[in-house]
Amino acid sequence: MIDAILKMSIARRWIVMALVLFVAGIGVWNYQRLPIDAVPDITNVQVQINTAAPGYSPLEVEQRITYPVETAISGLPHIEYTRSLSRYGLSQVTVIFQDGTDLYFARNLVNERLQQVRGQLPEGIDAEMGPIATGLGEIFQYTVHAAADARQADGRPYDATALRTLQDWVIRPQLRHVPGVTEVNTIGGFEKQFHVTPDPAKLLAYGLTFDSIVKALEVNNGNVGAGYIERNGEQYLIRAPGQLSDLTAIEGVIVAHRDGLPITVRDIAEVSYGKQLRTGAATRDGEEAVLGTAVMLVGENSRTVSKAIADKLAAVNKTLPQGVSADPVYDRTVLVERTIQTVQKNLFEGAILVIVVLLLMLGNGWAALLTAAVIPISMLMLMTSMVQTKVSANLMSLGALDFGLIVDGAVIIVENCIVLLAARQHHLGRLLTTSERLETVYRATREVFTPSLVSVLVVILVNLPILALTGVEGKMFRPMAMTVIMALLAALVLSLTFVPAAVALLLRGRIQEKENRAIAAVKRIYAPVLATAIHLRVAFVAGAVLLVLACGWLASRMGSEFIPSLDEGDLAVQALRIPGTSLSQSLEMQFQIEKAVMKVPEVRTFFSRVGTAEVATDPMPPNISDGYVMLKDHKDWPDPKKPKAEVVAQIEQALEGLPGNAYEISQPIQLRFNELISGVRSDLGIKVYGDDLDELLKTGNAIAKLLNGIQGAEGVKVEQAAGLPVLSIEANRAALYRYGLNMRDVQDVLAAATGGAEAGLLFEGDKRFSLVVRLPEIQRSNLDALGRLPIALPAGGYVPMGEIATLSIAPGPNQISRENGKRRLVVSANVRDRDLGSFVAEAREVIDANIELPPGYWLAYGGTFEQLQSASERLGLLVPVTLGMIFALLLLTFGSAKDAALVFSGVPLALTGGVIALWLRDIPLSITAGVGFITLSGVAVLTGVILVSAIREQLDRGVDIDSAIREGAMLRLRPILMVALVAALGFLPMALNTSTGAEVQRPLATVVIGGIISATLLTLLVLPGLYRMAWRPSREALNSTATLQESST
Amino acid sequence: MNTRIPVASSLLLAVVLAVSGCGSSEPAAPVAATNDHGNAEGGHAEGEGEESEEGRVHLTPAQIEAAGIGLATVGPASIRETLSVYGSIAPNAERVRDVSARFAGVISSVDKKIGDAVRQGETLATVESNESLRTYAVTAPLAGVITERSANAGEQTGDRKLFTVADLSTVWVELSLFPRDRARVQVGQPVRVRSADSGLSADGRVVYVAPFGSSASQTLTARVQLANPERRWAPGLYVSADVVLSESPAPLTIRNEAIQIMEGQSSIFVEEEPGEFVPYPVQLGRSDGEVTEILRGLQAGQRYATVNSFILKAQMGAGSAEHGH
Repeated sequence: MIDAILKMSIARRWIVMALVLFVAGIGVWNYQRLPIDAVPDITNVQVQINTAAPGYSPLEVEQRITYPVETAISGLPHIEYTRSLSRYGLSQVTVIFQDGTDLYFARNLVNERLQQVRGQLPEGIDAEMGPIATGLGEIFQYTVHAAADARQADGRPYDATALRTLQDWVIRPQLRHVPGVTEVNTIGGFEKQFHVTPDPAKLLAYGLTFDSIVKALEVNNGNVGAGYIERNGEQYLIRAPGQLSDLTAIEGVIVAHRDGLPITVRDIAEVSYGKQLRTGAATRDGEEAVLGTAVMLVGENSRTVSKAIADKLAAVNKTLPQGVSADPVYDRTVLVERTIQTVQKNLFEGAILVIVVLLLMLGNGWAALLTAAVIPISMLMLMTSMVQTKVSANLMSLGALDFGLIVDGAVIIVENCIVLLAARQHHLGRLLTTSERLETVYRATREVFTPSLVSVLVVILVNLPILALTGVEGKMFRPMAMTVIMALLAALVLSLTFVPAAVALLLRGRIQEKENRAIAAVKRIYAPVLATAIHLRVAFVAGAVLLVLACGWLASRMGSEFIPSLDEGDLAVQALRIPGTSLSQSLEMQFQIEKAVMKVPEVRTFFSRVGTAEVATDPMPPNISDGYVMLKDHKDWPDPKKPKAEVVAQIEQALEGLPGNAYEISQPIQLRFNELISGVRSDLGIKVYGDDLDELLKTGNAIAKLLNGIQGAEGVKVEQAAGLPVLSIEANRAALYRYGLNMRDVQDVLAAATGGAEAGLLFEGDKRFSLVVRLPEIQRSNLDALGRLPIALPAGGYVPMGEIATLSIAPGPNQISRENGKRRLVVSANVRDRDLGSFVAEAREVIDANIELPPGYWLAYGGTFEQLQSASERLGLLVPVTLGMIFALLLLTFGSAKDAALVFSGVPLALTGGVIALWLRDIPLSITAGVGFITLSGVAVLTGVILVSAIREQLDRGVDIDSAIREGAMLRLRPILMVALVAALGFLPMALNTSTGAEVQRPLATVVIGGIISATLLTLLVLPGLYRMAWRPSREALNSTATLQESST
Repeated sequence: MNTRIPVASSLLLAVVLAVSGCGSSEPAAPVAATNDHGNAEGGHAEGEGEESEEGRVHLTPAQIEAAGIGLATVGPASIRETLSVYGSIAPNAERVRDVSARFAGVISSVDKKIGDAVRQGETLATVESNESLRTYAVTAPLAGVITERSANAGEQTGDRKLFTVADLSTVWVELSLFPRDRARVQVGQPVRVRSADSGLSADGRVVYVAPFGSSASQTLTARVQLANPERRWAPGLYVSADVVLSESPAPLTIRNEAIQIMEGQSSIFVEEEPGEFVPYPVQLGRSDGEVTEILRGLQAGQRYATVNSFILKAQMGAGSAEHGH
């Protein structure tokens, strides 16, 4: 088949070129559609169901909202698991679907069930699904603020309420319509409300209750349409306006009549603009702020969308009142562009280097050019396949691309074509006829196609285990493996079609096989060295084996990390305070943090979210704040050369001075991912399932104590399920009975008094504001005043709250977590200086022996050790299979186990260079480095195959083994060096670059460059010797195979 | 990423090992990729950890200043314990007189209207006696205000009441005491009375506590007599009142904002060494709006944290604070 394709591409070369052009065109088009982001999206397929339940404590939220929602969701197809969180005023159920489930399908399923559950939820409470977005969704953030001298229409300065109103009714509605935006989330400021705050004493005096005010307001605040009448041929619409419009109107509402006199709201209550009871706030640079976050729809192109938002925001800014502005504070475009620039720069410089090398070594401009043309064409083909396979372009997916590797196949083919064409011209002493030329091109291509096919197949094979990774690692690295495979396949197809066709078209004239000087010089040096290497083969091979062993040992000593983290340029500072810290206290502490950090000169701005935003995508309690420290451009720093780590240290030092906070410093995207994935993030998580919260906590603490006793345990933590101070106002039933009250009467009064009772809406244009009846702030927060709160008796008169109820402050549940429909408490631990597997085994044993669980309680073990286990199992199975397949492939190619093994032996030898390079540059092992090793094994096999097939060709001609090895090696010196050089140089910019994103690619490039150097050296020096040992005169063959196997299996 | 999976190394090792055929151990000590702050990671497990660090907070002077922590000394103070109750103004029942005609007859003239102030002995009306046909004056029995009048010229007086005169120079405040508070209110305690809109206030004393209560409202009435020279306390008004239950010196007191609840126990952060705070569990006694008596747990002269003592509590718990998803 390959023959047929080759022949056809050479014969129909014009058609091939046209097709290539067409495919490239499609690639250009697809490039526009390719989603581009800085990092791969590692969010799982999840649907969040958020239910705001103002006033509900964690227990009530769980009982009345979370449980029904969870029950309704259970049993949906493709669910992996559900988890839920019940906090004050918020229930969040997260449904995680199996990877690969269509998100819209999943949302549909969830939505259907939500419709059914709506009836079971308490009145006025509605479950909503979170925005259709992933962890990368928060692409744009801005704050709204006013200049100090800006005044509202009524002459008052802009306060947090006024700014929030602008955000809610002017800015947000416009940004929501930007294509690709699924939600604009708001946090900070106060929603404007109209507050009616009755004085309990006055209520008593008139014998009125909260309820009577609420009722009076409700029935005096409405417009009614009353149809129409016809008169003299005209039609008149009838309406009866009656809506309350402002504070004065509210004051005038009549609540009751006493002795024929109307008692209005004014007589018993204060009416004013009030502040909502908020669950979250925002700050910027040490001041209260209003923060908007635009969330991108899943699958959109973040660069396009955030640009569109920025443009829209600029337009919106023009429509804002004088002195008020909405400032972008976080724009993903910046990071994406910086990252993509880095990638582009790396790729571009790599390509240039490759072309230069080709030009120098081939000595033929056309040949170099057409080889280099493989780079853009295969890239464009890659774009098309990325769009088709929904792989987004980012640092990781494009990070492993090496143009050297891509052109390797083409290089070998073109090189051989030149050699053969030149030889034939030389032989015939004239230019070739077309048919002769075509025939030569075909033969030259066919001759070396097998090695290049084999090398590509090998790289693809070694990438297969990566495709089998699941979970976060899978999401991170599968795209990388896929792009590499796709790019190589594209290159393979091109070298089968485009390259021979282009060679046939372009290499017409006189081809001179110039041995350029560099090559000649190398050959001169190589010849004696090769002779020595063959002569001292045993020493060389033994040295190589020793080297492999030494590097294996070195690798086991090296530090390792998951992946090097992308430097996002900005920082996220999460400040954590003890549960129960109030929002205003948290805000105060946050102001101080921001002011302290702003003193660091490199900081441009610092904004934070405290507590939960309006759309509860991240259900943070008020004691936690997510802060974003945006740094200035390096050029604006006092010392532009200062390393970022120093700035971070300075910020840490500033934070150190502020007591009462614990900090976690990370980066914005990183932080968001952690929040979203947020399974158990420690090495070992022991989940205790059961009913009773106290029992769970008791068991959890007991387990924590045991874990602390096990060697290697570190940072053992029990989930903070308790510790929220709760004021319980428990009515005494006997007292209720004595006064003829119902429990509900008491609860309603309390809820209205402290939480506030909604009494309708007020409209200002299309803005709408709540009308709330609530106790005055001074009395709300005063426990004595609450105790004195009068409760009207059915027979007239009153009784103070404290008389019929006990007020007690006690710590209550802070949050209730559930997983798969059961209450759950997590005890987590990290493991240091010990092998994770044995630690888990010991922990299990100790816990089994010492913890006695009550009936109906059970334990589950999770954490990253689970992932590690499953990943190790997969890899443990797949890596040998893959290696077997590579061996089989080589076996098929050579038809000789010995030759296959010889080529194979190049792989461990190549790895040594990679390990040494990492060690020299002090880079820890990581998956990215691992991918480098994979690429490396492909290159090692490729050079091995080239050499071995050359030697075999010589042997086939009947040359004796020693000269066959020598001839073959000398003959293939140039292609081997070229392949190695282009592959290494292609990665050189990547290894040396220091701009944004370079840190992720650096290990990979370092490994490849180091490895290629060692692989090439070893291929050229050790392989000939090995070959000689393997194929010594036949009577000793048996022995040598044994030696070989020892070193290669 | 926080997830620390040495997959990379396993992968690499798997390749290396499978190829070179020699065994080796797992790579040790994977390093977290993030530069997480030590404090947040190395938190204390509940009740575990280094004993010396447990249970105390150390702050530098700069930190104390940044946190705005105030300091005070445990010492004596006067505690004024009050009880807030509601009630209404009633006329002083001892100073209300119903006026009727001594001799039945026809009212010949009425001199005073409702609301008129009268002196003692001032003529309210003149009545012509049916029997004697002599005209005599009906006079005010005490100085005060006419609060009722049911007499018009030409009417027969009969036995009925013609006027009510109330002396409003003093009024009674009828306070409702609920069962819980009954025992604490005694005759003689000073009381501050405020009108519902807080426009008026006056001081008086409890003059009477009713010995029997109302079964409907389960309340007792306590009575306060108020001077009302300007007649501003109009009977019928609702008022609130603070009864001073006791006002006495206490030897050990602390300011209220110093009280923090640690593990369900009221505690005070005492500065043992400069910058070294330790929470002392205490037993609280009487309290008013500002200070609280310490029954047990502290000694006079100890320095303790007042304002922003919560920061100290927060700092103690900071190690175990976590995101808690």
